[in-house]
Order: sequence, then structure tokens, then C-alpha cells
Amino acid sequence: MFSLYKKELRSYYCSPFAYVIAALFLLVFSLSFINGISNLSGNQFKFSFPNVFYNNFFYFIFLIPALTMRTFADERKGGTEVLLMTSPLNVFQIVIAKFLAVSTVFLMMLVLTLFYPLITVLTGEVVWSSLICGYLGFFLWGLVCIAVGILMSSFTESPIIAAILGEGAMIILIFIDNFKDSGLFTNLPKVAQIIGSFSTQERFVSFSQGLFSIADLIFFITATILFVGFTIISVEKRRWSRG
Amino acid sequence: MIQIKNLTKFYGRNAAVKNLSFTVNDNEILGFLGPNGAGKSTTMNIITGFLPSTSGTVTINGLDIAENPSEAKKMIGYLPEIPPVYLDMKVKEYLKFAAGIKGIKRSERSQQVESAMEKLKIKDVEKRLIRNLSKGYRQRVGFAQALLGDPKYLILDEPTVGLDPNQVIEVRNLIKSLKKDHTIILSSHILAEIQAVCERVVIISHGEIRAVDSIKNLEDSMGNSIVLVMKIEGDKDAVAECIKKVSGVLGINDIIFEETGIHTYKIEIEKEDIRKTIMAELIKKDFVIDEVKSEKPNLEEVFVKLTAQAPKKKGLKDLLNEMDSNNPYYNDDLDSSEKEDE
Repeated sequence: MFSLYKKELRSYYCSPFAYVIAALFLLVFSLSFINGISNLSGNQFKFSFPNVFYNNFFYFIFLIPALTMRTFADERKGGTEVLLMTSPLNVFQIVIAKFLAVSTVFLMMLVLTLFYPLITVLTGEVVWSSLICGYLGFFLWGLVCIAVGILMSSFTESPIIAAILGEGAMIILIFIDNFKDSGLFTNLPKVAQIIGSFSTQERFVSFSQGLFSIADLIFFITATILFVGFTIISVEKRRWSRG
Repeated sequence: MIQIKNLTKFYGRNAAVKNLSFTVNDNEILGFLGPNGAGKSTTMNIITGFLPSTSGTVTINGLDIAENPSEAKKMIGYLPEIPPVYLDMKVKEYLKFAAGIKGIKRSERSQQVESAMEKLKIKDVEKRLIRNLSKGYRQRVGFAQALLGDPKYLILDEPTVGLDPNQVIEVRNLIKSLKKDHTIILSSHILAEIQAVCERVVIISHGEIRAVDSIKNLEDSMGNSIVLVMKIEGDKDAVAECIKKVSGVLGINDIIFEETGIHTYKIEIEKEDIRKTIMAELIKKDFVIDEVKSEKPNLEEVFVKLTAQAPKKKGLKDLLNEMDSNNPYYNDDLDSSEKEDE
């Protein structure tokens, strides 16, 4: 399993792939950071990391699927799926190895952004609780996105379609809040409540405000496990129905 | 020993493989023959545990591939039709990775990789990206992958596709040399290849087994008659009549037009000696003989006969009988069975 993990990591870092995405991520992160600072001059806004995180929350819609689109789609396209499936590894191990590899790449991206708080600490002040929780929320949300992205990649042979499906799924996950608040459910508070329990935005906001809640933590973790579980089922199912 | 029992695989409503049963004995090379789309690759994919079967069992050395996959898979080295190589990896790197996922101990990996590369003669490209290798080299890298970990059973799906003639011979010799420690299933639609390396063959067509036997038995089952191929100048009907008059001629199977006034005749005869008599008769009548050669029925003919039929529910015995008696109702039979299918 470790071999597969290593090979996956290598496929990211021995090609321009991970670097391009990390660069793009840093670019959008920088932009929101600079935006935050430039607003300071108006003296009406306070610069805070939660805002920066909140802006970047949305960029994941296209960043993460780009990272995950190849995981299973490429294996299937290149015929290398056979190698994995006929090795003594089981589907669970294969999916976990791939998930961990993408998570590692993502973690490295996050580590790179520590640069910004570092500058802030040197020249100003940071609210530690908010920063740490913000990062935690960011990371957990990233894991959910990765799990969704890998699941979408296991549905298709084409990485492009996998990326588009992933983007679609993430848009649904993020904008479920707006859907809940829409006029459709004004008379159906119960339904709105049920839909609301799936909302990710609110939970993320509470994290980025420095509020740590076990319920939110569990929500993100179970969502990740759920999507990883679906991926295992989907890969296994493909074996049965292929032809 | 690999035992395959009543293996059936449906793709949706289409049966790719129907009720396949055969056994592969230890240290033998079993040829797996069939025309394109006969179900060879499907069967191999099921044996290696890549695809699940709809029904039926495959046991590898007593272990069921569906019940005990990780243990059973450790004993198999598989080279699929398309070599499962990562184009963005280097040869050695790829083989090390493959050794890793096969669960070979870290300390043994380098040595295993080295010996596999030596056997397949890919040492000179070990540092190159697989993307930049030719089809033949990729095929050999895939083959090397199958050898990692010295698996007891090797399943090779058309291992010589894309190789040049010299490499084909090298790979065939390699397969023969592997026989000492391995049991090999080799699929191919190249008959010469099967004939060169296998002792026993399984012939399948339309997902059904047509024959499981040694090559020699199959050839013998075609009968002892000899087919004489003669190219003769002269009127077609007159020549045919002249040949038919000779005693010992069983019949003329085929007359092929070559040029105006020249035809090639395929004459089935009982014994080699009759050849002289036929020639004498022909010369007496002033026909000019351009070419004479004799053919023994070979695996190719067995293959063509067995696989050209529409799918039928028939035992092996019936099939062999049918081959013996040069069945004149052959075509009628084919039509009726097609109707049954509809």
C-alpha cells in the first residue's frame, strides 16, 4: 500500500502537475490576502484571516477537482487498473492510498500558505485561535473535496469529465445553504432545517471564526469517510459491470 | 494447478463466456486459442481476479480467487493484452513499484527487478521513460512485471504482439525456459506460436470450449488423409475427371482459379504413393503440372474447423466425429443452428 502511495505522490511531484496547482492556489490566496490588506486603508475594514479563508473556500471548486481528476480515470484509460486490481492489494487499500496521496499534496499546498501568517506575525498581530481553527477547517473541507473528487474520478474514464463532475458536486455542497434560504422553503421550515443540516458553508465559517465545535468536526470527518466509502463501492462496482 | 469450473460471464445480456471448464496442470504450458472476440481475454481476466465471474469458480492451487483473492493473486503473474505500464514512469522505477504492490519484501525487490530486466533484455532502457519506448519494449516491460516475485502461475495474454520477429523468438524461448518453475497459460491467435511452445491447447469460440487436448491428438483427429495441392494447366472439368478416376483419391476438396487455363486443385488422397499415379495419369492426358505439394492436416485446420461453426451445444466427442467425417451437410447444419439462436 505504501508503494502505491509513494507512486501516486511521485506522479504529482515528478510532473509539473502539483506545482502548477500549488502555484495557482498561492496566486488566488495572495490575491485575497492583498485584497484584505488594501481594504485596510479605508479604515472601515479589519483585516482578518477568516476572510481570506472564506474567499478561498470557493476557489476549491476548481482547484481540488484538478488535483483529483486523474486518480482513477487515468488508471482506467491507460489500462493500468488491471495491474492494481490483480495485485494482492484490495480495493480498500487502493482507494485509501490514493486518497492519502492527494491529501498529502493538498497538505503541502496548505503548508506553503503559512508564509502569509508568518509575514503578519512579523509585522503585526494574529489571533491564534482563529488562525489555527481556520487552518483546521480549511484542511477538513479540503479532505471532503478530495473525497468527492476521487469519487467522481472513479465514475469515468476521462479526467476532464471527472473534473467537471467534481466541480458540479462541490458547487452543490457549497451552495446548499443558498438553496435552503431560497423562497421555496419559507413555508416548510422542517425541510429547510433538514437541508440545512448538510450545509458546509456555515460550518466552515464557524471554524474560520475560531469556533471549534465537535459537531462540525464530526460532520466533515463523516462526510469524508462517506465519500471514500462510496469510492470503494464505485470501484468495486465497476469491476462487476464492466465490459 | 488451476481449476476452472463452469465459468460463465455475462456482460449485460451477452454471454462472453459460457460454462467453461478445464484444468491447468503444474509445469505445463497451456495454449489458449480462439478467434478475436472468443472470450480469451475475458477468461484470463477472470482467472487473475480482475473481473468477477457471473457464475462458476476458479481455484488457484486450491484457493478460490473470489473467496481468497489476496492470497491467490500472490501466486499469479499477469500480462494483460495491453501492457499495464505507467507512461510517465521510468522502466526501473515502474518495476520497483510493481514489486512493491505485489508485496515483495523490500530487501528482495532490487534483486527481483534486476533479474526480471535481464530475462527480458530491457536492462539498456532501465532509465528511460516508458512513454518514449516502442510497443515491443513496453510489451517486454509488462512481461517483466509479470515475472516479479517468481509467481507460480503466469498468465500471458498475447505476449508477442507488437514484437519484431527476432524478439518473438526470444520471448518464445524465454517462455519455454520458464516452464521449469512455472505453469503458464498463453493465449494467442497465432497458431505457429502455440504450436511452438504449448503441449496442450484449449480452443474456444463464441465463449464455448471447442476442444481441450494435446496438439498431436487434435491433428490426428483430423484423419490420416493427405491433401495434395497441384497446380495444373488444362481444362478444369477434364482434369478433375481424370483425377477422380484414379483409385485411392478420396475427392477434390477445392479448385482455385489461378490464370486462364490454370487451376490449383486440392486433392484428398489415402496414401502418399497415389501421387505418382495421379501425375502419370495427368501426363498421359497431356496436362502440364506446374506445382505439386502435399499437406498434412495441421493445427491450423483444426482451428478453422472448430471455430468456424456457429455456437452449438455439443460435446467434444460430437465435434471430433464431425471433423472425422467430412460432413457434407455442414452448411445446412450451420443455418439451422443459427435459426435456433434467433
